[in-house]
Amino acid sequence: MNAVAQPLTARKRVDVVGFLRYHLLTAYSLLMFVYLLLPIGVVILFSFNNPSGRFNYTWQGFTLKYWQNWNSVPGLWGAMKLSLEIALIASLVATALGTLIALALVRYGFRGRGSTNLLIFLPLSTPEIVLGASLLTLFLNVTFVQLGFWTILIAHVMFCISFAVVTVKARLVGFDRHIEEAAMDLGANEWTTFQKVTLPLIAPAILAALLLCFAISVDDFVVTYLNAGSETTFPLFVWGAARVGAPPQVNVFGTAIFVVAVTAMLGSVLYQRRREVRA
Amino acid sequence: MTDHLSRRELLRRAAAGGTVLTLPGLLAACGGATKSAAGTGSSSKQLAKTLEFSNWTLYIDVKGQKHPSLDQFQKKTGVKVDYKEDINDNASFFGKIQGPLSRGQSINRDIIVMTDNSRYPSLLIKKGWVEKLDKSAIPNIKNLLPVQRHPSWDPDRDYSLPWQSGMTGIAYNDKLTDPVLSIPRLLEDKKLKGKITVLSEMADSLALVMLANGDDPAHVTNATFNRAINRLQKAVDNGQIRQFTGNDYSGPLAKGDLKAAMSWSGDIVQLQSSNKHLHWNLPADGGDIWTDNMLIPQGGNVFTASTYMNFVYDPKIAAEIEAYVNYISPVLGAKQVLLKTDPAIAKNTLIFPTKKMLDNVHVIDPAALSNPKYLTTWQNLVGA
Amino acid sequence: MGLLHRHRGLTPYLLLAPGLIFLLAFFVVPLGFLAYQSLESGNQATLTYSFTWAWSNYGNALRDYKGHFIRSFEYAGIATALALILSYPLAYWIAFRGGRWKNLLLLFIIAPFFVTYLIRTLAWETILSDNGIVVRTLRDIHVLGANGRLLATSTAVVAGITYNYLPFMALPLYVSLEQIDHSLIEAAQDLYASKWKAFLRVTLPLSLPGVVAGTLLTFIPAAGDFINAQLLGSTKQHMIGNVIQSKFLELTDYPAAAAMSFILMAIILVLVFIYARAVGTEKLTG
Repeated sequence: MNAVAQPLTARKRVDVVGFLRYHLLTAYSLLMFVYLLLPIGVVILFSFNNPSGRFNYTWQGFTLKYWQNWNSVPGLWGAMKLSLEIALIASLVATALGTLIALALVRYGFRGRGSTNLLIFLPLSTPEIVLGASLLTLFLNVTFVQLGFWTILIAHVMFCISFAVVTVKARLVGFDRHIEEAAMDLGANEWTTFQKVTLPLIAPAILAALLLCFAISVDDFVVTYLNAGSETTFPLFVWGAARVGAPPQVNVFGTAIFVVAVTAMLGSVLYQRRREVRA
Repeated sequence: MTDHLSRRELLRRAAAGGTVLTLPGLLAACGGATKSAAGTGSSSKQLAKTLEFSNWTLYIDVKGQKHPSLDQFQKKTGVKVDYKEDINDNASFFGKIQGPLSRGQSINRDIIVMTDNSRYPSLLIKKGWVEKLDKSAIPNIKNLLPVQRHPSWDPDRDYSLPWQSGMTGIAYNDKLTDPVLSIPRLLEDKKLKGKITVLSEMADSLALVMLANGDDPAHVTNATFNRAINRLQKAVDNGQIRQFTGNDYSGPLAKGDLKAAMSWSGDIVQLQSSNKHLHWNLPADGGDIWTDNMLIPQGGNVFTASTYMNFVYDPKIAAEIEAYVNYISPVLGAKQVLLKTDPAIAKNTLIFPTKKMLDNVHVIDPAALSNPKYLTTWQNLVGA
Repeated sequence: MGLLHRHRGLTPYLLLAPGLIFLLAFFVVPLGFLAYQSLESGNQATLTYSFTWAWSNYGNALRDYKGHFIRSFEYAGIATALALILSYPLAYWIAFRGGRWKNLLLLFIIAPFFVTYLIRTLAWETILSDNGIVVRTLRDIHVLGANGRLLATSTAVVAGITYNYLPFMALPLYVSLEQIDHSLIEAAQDLYASKWKAFLRVTLPLSLPGVVAGTLLTFIPAAGDFINAQLLGSTKQHMIGNVIQSKFLELTDYPAAAAMSFILMAIILVLVFIYARAVGTEKLTG
């Protein structure tokens, strides 16, 4: 994979150092993943805990019963479902809108470019409590709006757009336009070029933006709390439950979502591999 | 609450809300009044089909996915209870509902529960954002503990009824320290430095420190307030107080990161079942007692809500709820029922405190809770 | 500027329209309410406020909470630098060595977000507990004093912020690293005969847009964060986010909360402007 031509004067000793250096990066990265996933590890561990009271803070014995009774906490599954639904829709919408804005900002000069850039940064810098409260004020002053699913969705799309824009822009800034030029020289029109050349090349950025928006949305608390009306999302549920002792089922759910997502990703990777092998 | 908006009502709300006098605000206020879901005047004697009840988490009896007492209520009256556990902090919940309430809109709830160690219940009453109870529908109100009958912020219990009470005291871990039984010890014993927490709730902390200073928390003056603040500030500055917490002291206490903590009685009952080394006592100089109160927010269905309140003031039902919740029941007779069905709980003094304990708890001066200068000073002490 | 630039000036506006209209409706308008509120004054005990051009709200906020503002930018700055140092090698590894597993690895980076902020932080409370293995080891090797602790210190708060914002740094970094043409690097290595130099002269500069993006996406929200300070810090670590939170919720002093938010936003924008100038605006805006 990384077969780089070494200068012919390289000695064997350098190879050893090169080997170490090469794998040092891998070792570091694996360590980083351990660091990143350490809390998840704790969460997974404590989903098997058997606390005798309501607080799940100290290890008191192994049990599978919370996995068996995973759905016995009222409202937990509903909250999780809502969070996932909203995160999915919000990340798709925000990434779509954000990509369009990023394209416009990077490729065109137009009046108001500077102010648009400014506008993109503002939501990021606004503290959540006032962001949520002022959005709530808006919703309350528009009488046909009922607080609930739609208001949560609107709020999430709103604060995710900026993240999507900045992420996709990072890709567009260094984009080599000559490839597009070449495609058009070969006879493709604007739209085909965009579809078959540009889009695939910025796909990793779009995916990254999707993942980021999804993560932000599924995790949001403050803005959601103020604008959710009577709905409960997973973070809202956890916040309430943690006050009096979150039951291990919360850990079970967290673990399950993590495992499902990883499995899905794994599945798509293996599926791709099979397609490549067959092709 | 009637459907049309009288001029007087509009002006009152304008004074309260400020934004009502803008055009969208006016539209909203008008729309809001007709929007009041189950809202009816207190003259209506018809039960609604559903009761919207917002409460704190794990604050009612639970069996699997159901709440037995709520099912019993439905069987008895035909009213389905839509029970939501979306309150877990007074300030946050108020921050959420003040928007609609200040615009004269209903929050689609018939009952909410707020604590009197915050200024929000009395604020809600002052602003007219809660409805009066229909006492004719609550004959069981006679079962209310006498000590709870005349709180200074709602002297005749016109707007509120207690749901559960709790006490504030000191918890300690006997594996890590000898018994910590007084506030001076908590705040000044060097052996506890950096291993204790104090409550971020002004009412509770202030009351306990004032009592330790020999002052009366029921009548707060600038002098007594400052004395308490200074004592706490010293403990903050020299690192004695590790953190100001809400009930997130539970984790560190259970894990042994804390030797002692100013804490609430109900939490400790739960923690003790997993850690036998935790003990809780009222401080030597006195503790305080707070109560979570049921209130009917504006637009709520008064008759249905009152009927429900009557239902939970039946000692049998109160005992059912108490057996699970483990805070302090405000209903006379619940203890007697539990002595027969679950004596361990009936005999637990954290759940049914003795007279000696009740004599040693105080309630803070509600005027102090609403004093902006005190509140700001407190928040600055607590760090923010 | 751009090869497709020759088109009529309408295209950019069409591209911008959906997103901008959305932001205008659901961000700018609420911001207008907030601005209005920041100039109100009144009685926080009875929640009666009226518009009085109360610019003093701004002055008071700066005067009373200067320390909090400074501390917030300090913590956010350190956390951003740490996040950059920690994430860069990781993003590089995924981009260059990830192969077909790239997307899965990206998923692992955002996986912590599936268990909500509160649970993550509580898990760290368990890991960094005074009697936990981390603190005990640090005491044994004398990095911490015999009674030292990690929780309720600024270390814990900065560590918490760094951890929680790592994905915001790592993903943009990955995005710009991933697009680098490997043949450029190979050519550089042939020229310089050193992998390290090739990295410094080619890879690093080409990844700057990602560095800028990641830095902004981390620093800006981190400055307004409140939850790490609340759960992992003591009174002395509270940030401006905590103040705004308490002004809004506990003190119901909405004008003060609003004014403080605008000050925070203004300072952040100034810092971003300076930063953009320093790195050269092309990296920022393309």
